[in-house]
Amino acid sequence: MENQNGYEPKIVAFLCNWCTYTGADLAGTSRLQYPPNVRVIRTMCSGAVDPVYVLKSLIDGVDGVLIGGCHPGDCHYQTGNYKTRRRYIALQEILKAAGFDERRVWLRWISASEGAKFAETVTEMVAAMKELGPNPLRSAWAV
Amino acid sequence: MIGLISVNNGDTMRAVQGFLKNLLQNGLVEALYLPLQVDGGAILPALVTDPARLDQANPLAPVMSINSARAVSAITNKKPPARLGVVLRSCEIRALYELVKLQQASLEDLTIIGIDCPGTFELSEIVHRKEEFNQYLPEYLAAAREGKQPSFAGLSPRQACQMCVQPLPTHADIALHLFGADPTQGIPVELSEELAGRLGCETAPVDLEAERQKVVEKVIAERAQVRQQELDQVRRKLASNGSLAGMFMDCIRCHNCMTVCPICYCKTCLFKTSSFDHPPEHYLLAAHQKGAVRLLGDTLLFHLTRLNHMSLSCVSCGMCTSACPADIPVGAIFSAIGEQAAAAFNYVPGRDVSEPLPLVTFQVNEWTEVGEAR
Repeated sequence: MENQNGYEPKIVAFLCNWCTYTGADLAGTSRLQYPPNVRVIRTMCSGAVDPVYVLKSLIDGVDGVLIGGCHPGDCHYQTGNYKTRRRYIALQEILKAAGFDERRVWLRWISASEGAKFAETVTEMVAAMKELGPNPLRSAWAV
Repeated sequence: MIGLISVNNGDTMRAVQGFLKNLLQNGLVEALYLPLQVDGGAILPALVTDPARLDQANPLAPVMSINSARAVSAITNKKPPARLGVVLRSCEIRALYELVKLQQASLEDLTIIGIDCPGTFELSEIVHRKEEFNQYLPEYLAAAREGKQPSFAGLSPRQACQMCVQPLPTHADIALHLFGADPTQGIPVELSEELAGRLGCETAPVDLEAERQKVVEKVIAERAQVRQQELDQVRRKLASNGSLAGMFMDCIRCHNCMTVCPICYCKTCLFKTSSFDHPPEHYLLAAHQKGAVRLLGDTLLFHLTRLNHMSLSCVSCGMCTSACPADIPVGAIFSAIGEQAAAAFNYVPGRDVSEPLPLVTFQVNEWTEVGEAR
């Protein structure tokens, strides 16, 4: 699908400090190229990402939200990411049932050594968000 | 076993009051929570220690001013102060179970007296018709006997009750049967042999179970249809352009829905904290970003957050819809969405107190495909 009117997706990424944020840092030090559409917010654990942050981002008009965490079993706090996984599933169901596009919220396990994977994920997500078009909530003021 | 509370002179209410007095008098419980009727006709929930006060008890009145789960949470909390008895409807018992899982109530030393629920009427309609309502009980019980939908002063029961497919007080220690029974003759009561012995309750002479089963199945089938229709209608609206935002256009942010919800137990809602106490600059910026900003602000976020926080435990009691001044079908919306979200975890709120809440438990090897790139 072509880029309509110069639409550039805005993506907010909540990245866990120990794995994904470090992986993103590695992508940077490795000089890997990836689209600049991501705004990163560092959290100590993906389990610390309250769904309300994701919801607020979407309602404010952000086109995509990425939650990045350690692979299950590797959480710095032992079990945080297992809870993230359940919360993500509940959030997906609620978004779907409430008439929102749940495909705009992604959960990805990316470790500290997976700099390339981070770059690939962002590239993939930007392309996917371009495909979905701008978030209709961008102009919804009566919310 | 099924016992029978004998009724004299067709006075069902007196018989129930007598049965409940017995619970206090023989020390089974130190205090009893149930609705009392005051002189003006208003029906209030109360915690009663004096059996004489039970002359004013009216637990059969088809009106639900609060979902009692929140009151039971207040009187039990982490540890009940004594052996208590609570008279509850099905949705109140189910909400109580969810509150127990949320560590906001305790079932320790608690005797639950459940009553079949043929439906309740809107409080806002009852308050203007108190005298007429006082005479309504026999007609109501007659409808329950046949499994017909009760009607009062041309009014139907609350929408939530019309859609309720769980009218029986499962998990109750003592259950009063109204469906399929002629309560002017006697009220069948289901309880353990031990309790029956303690209360001097004799086995019911006639087995009314088959009749009750038939009536209950009919009631549930009818209500299931209404539920399907209502929830499908809500789902259609949610799937269309307006989505959830469209359904809460009329919301005035009174937070009544949250206040009356038995599951919403936070002393201070996130939305009343400084997190949402925005400085004026925030509003102006938001207005610039989208051309205009709705005030008071964050309405859609409030409802989506409340959905995220409690819809998995929603028992469809409908107190939220009854309390909404803008007539938004909050209960139907939360039931529709909550049901779908809970189903993803094979969870049914209020089904089993030992079943953990989906978001406070996990398995190491579940949903292993989630989080992996496709």
